[in-house]
Amino acid sequence: MFFDRLIKFFASLRLTVVCLALGMVLIFAGTLAQVPMGLYKAQNEFFRSFVVFWQPEHFAWKIPVLPGGYLLGGLLLINLIAAHAERFSFSRKKAGIWMIHSGLILLLLGQLLTDMLAQESQLHLRVGDARNYSESDREFELAITDVTDKDADKVVAIPEHLLLRQQDINNSQLPFTLKVDKFYLNSAVTNQPAAGYEASGATAGFGTTGVWLKSLPRETVMELRDLPSGIVEVVSPAGSTGKFMISAYFGEAQPFTVAGRKYTMMLRMERFYKPYSLRLQEFKHDVYKGTDVPKNFSSRLVLDRPATGEHREVLIYMNNPLRYDGETYYQASFDPDDGGTVLQVVHNPSWVTPYLACLLVGAGLIVQFLSHLIPFLKRKQSL
Amino acid sequence: MNSIWSKLQMNQTLAGGALLALLALPLAGCGNDEVKVYKVAKTDDTAPATPAAAPGDMAAPAANAQPGMPQLKWTLPDGWTTKPAGEMRLASFSAPGKDGNTVDVSVVPLPGMAGGDLNNVNRWRGQVGLAPISAEDLPKEGQAVAVGDSTAVLYDLSGTPAGAGGMSTITTGADGKGRILAVGLHREDMMWFFKATGDDVSVGFQKDNFIGFLKSLQFAAPDASAALPPDHPPIGGDATPPMAGQSLPPMGGGTPATVPAGALPAWTVPTAWTAEPPSAMLLARFTATEHTAKADITVSSFPGDVGGLLANVNRWRRQISLPPVDDAALSSAITPLSTSAGPASEVDVTGTDPKTGQPTQLVGVILPLNGQTWFYKLMGDAAVVDHQKPAFLQFVQTVKY
Repeated sequence: MFFDRLIKFFASLRLTVVCLALGMVLIFAGTLAQVPMGLYKAQNEFFRSFVVFWQPEHFAWKIPVLPGGYLLGGLLLINLIAAHAERFSFSRKKAGIWMIHSGLILLLLGQLLTDMLAQESQLHLRVGDARNYSESDREFELAITDVTDKDADKVVAIPEHLLLRQQDINNSQLPFTLKVDKFYLNSAVTNQPAAGYEASGATAGFGTTGVWLKSLPRETVMELRDLPSGIVEVVSPAGSTGKFMISAYFGEAQPFTVAGRKYTMMLRMERFYKPYSLRLQEFKHDVYKGTDVPKNFSSRLVLDRPATGEHREVLIYMNNPLRYDGETYYQASFDPDDGGTVLQVVHNPSWVTPYLACLLVGAGLIVQFLSHLIPFLKRKQSL
Repeated sequence: MNSIWSKLQMNQTLAGGALLALLALPLAGCGNDEVKVYKVAKTDDTAPATPAAAPGDMAAPAANAQPGMPQLKWTLPDGWTTKPAGEMRLASFSAPGKDGNTVDVSVVPLPGMAGGDLNNVNRWRGQVGLAPISAEDLPKEGQAVAVGDSTAVLYDLSGTPAGAGGMSTITTGADGKGRILAVGLHREDMMWFFKATGDDVSVGFQKDNFIGFLKSLQFAAPDASAALPPDHPPIGGDATPPMAGQSLPPMGGGTPATVPAGALPAWTVPTAWTAEPPSAMLLARFTATEHTAKADITVSSFPGDVGGLLANVNRWRRQISLPPVDDAALSSAITPLSTSAGPASEVDVTGTDPKTGQPTQLVGVILPLNGQTWFYKLMGDAAVVDHQKPAFLQFVQTVKY
């Protein structure tokens, strides 16, 4: 009985209407909130959340005020599936409705998949540069690189979230343990003692003398990023090599030696390597004649894939991205001197789902329309 | 009931699929926490995507730094090529050396004093395997060079790099020697580093070109506001941590330091002021708000004379877009003020906020006391400042140290 009522609740049209109405309120409030909060924080708090909270000024607790995007999307998805289970049975007559609803389900699922699985990074190239990796614009990693061998470097890249656990990190590729003493996802670093800052305590590398650091709250504004710092100790069976300060404020890798092998460590933006490289041949920034108003940005690149021998020129410009090997390269930005380009690299395994969903909905609408039109015309003829 | 169950069973594939997908999503999200292991070609990793500052130099990375990078123009010597500027570097060049080697030239602007001359020189010396020198020996090192319209000291350091852990990032020649030409230029609230590094012979070959490059530089005003890390007040205030976007009192007064915690003097704060959390270089911060306009009150203290009265008066004048005064005009720019701790100097100037273009008034008091210099500043909307000035001066005069 209870289950029956539960199904009825989830299958009700009332729930659909309430979810859609709340969705409108959420989008309206989330859009307005972008002004004081910034795009990134507003997206996370309103759309990438189950509940939207409001924290009154000077109060430690938060009040839930709206269902978040995940909750509304999830409810709508359950609502659609439950409605099918409750009300619809498959018949030729209702094929159109089935297609429309399947399309909507696919759209909702696809969006959820995109949100969870899509990965965005950036590729910054100066004219003449070639690169076979893109970089995250927000996430950092600690790259431990074995630079002993002449022809290649071996990299062990540890994501910042592992460092945040402040536990020992062991990897079969490293002959030592990394003991994470402290790690701040966002930090300030100074070279003079100052209130609120603690001495780094590093005993090796760049941060041994005259460096103080402190933790900062996470950055939520879209245009700014966190600058992590921390202290890690390299401990091998022979003993400790020293405590190193790692920081996004350090611009270069710190060298160290363990068991006769040379390594470097660097806290850098997370890298995503590709089996191909892109070289920037030319960047163009066209403006409307007699004005500074941009007309077009375009990057002419050469794509090289040694494994397949592929070597071709590609042109990326506004609204004309390069789709290659499961990734999409969009023209995103450029250097102030017009000597370099910034491409947004989007890896979205479910990129095809919105297209399929729209096709399905479109086809469903046509089928549904025809399923009424044809009998109507037949009836008209028979009159 | 039965009908519902039968329909549910009919659609179990669909529902099951959706459920499975939903369950799989959080698992997929966990992939971010995996350690990645891979091999990269040598050439690939030795040239980071965003070439950075010299080892040990610190600055705010790109997302924060680039929008606020100061502007600089130059004339490039023959044969030099531009490299990606990257996160820490405002500019980066490659100059041809000897025997196919190249010289790496970098321009790195850092807010603040960036460690002071002695620290910087000793860091560079360490990079080429030279022993550190003392403050007394520092003046004996280096040669004066023109950097645009300024003068700075060029340090020419060569040696056999050892570096931390037995490695160095300085390229060396066949003789194992590396060389650094380095200049640290204090300019307004910025420290500019110009460096040429490479093997000993190649750097020597490019030395004249490097000096010529320095001479050709033209500085332009930075768009500073965007460069600051999250909790840093804007450049132009005197409240930021030294490393990443700060406006310390000008150089020359030794190593600035804050008063130790718990050593705050006793004062009575006017009731109209609201206390704000102090930041790294400020002992106290208050705001006075009247309708929609407001003014900020800040208190800071540093050892020594932190550059002297003239430099600090001019620093404040710059903050509200006023031209500096010279020694002769200094006495008319300040008013003596007696306080409970002794004589102080009061400054009252009105100008415009360089960011908003709004009229701004600054009332400041500089008090030298027991080897420290205390800075009190009331700055903001001219009407509010004018209104708060008596309370501010009374506050300053009655502080008990």
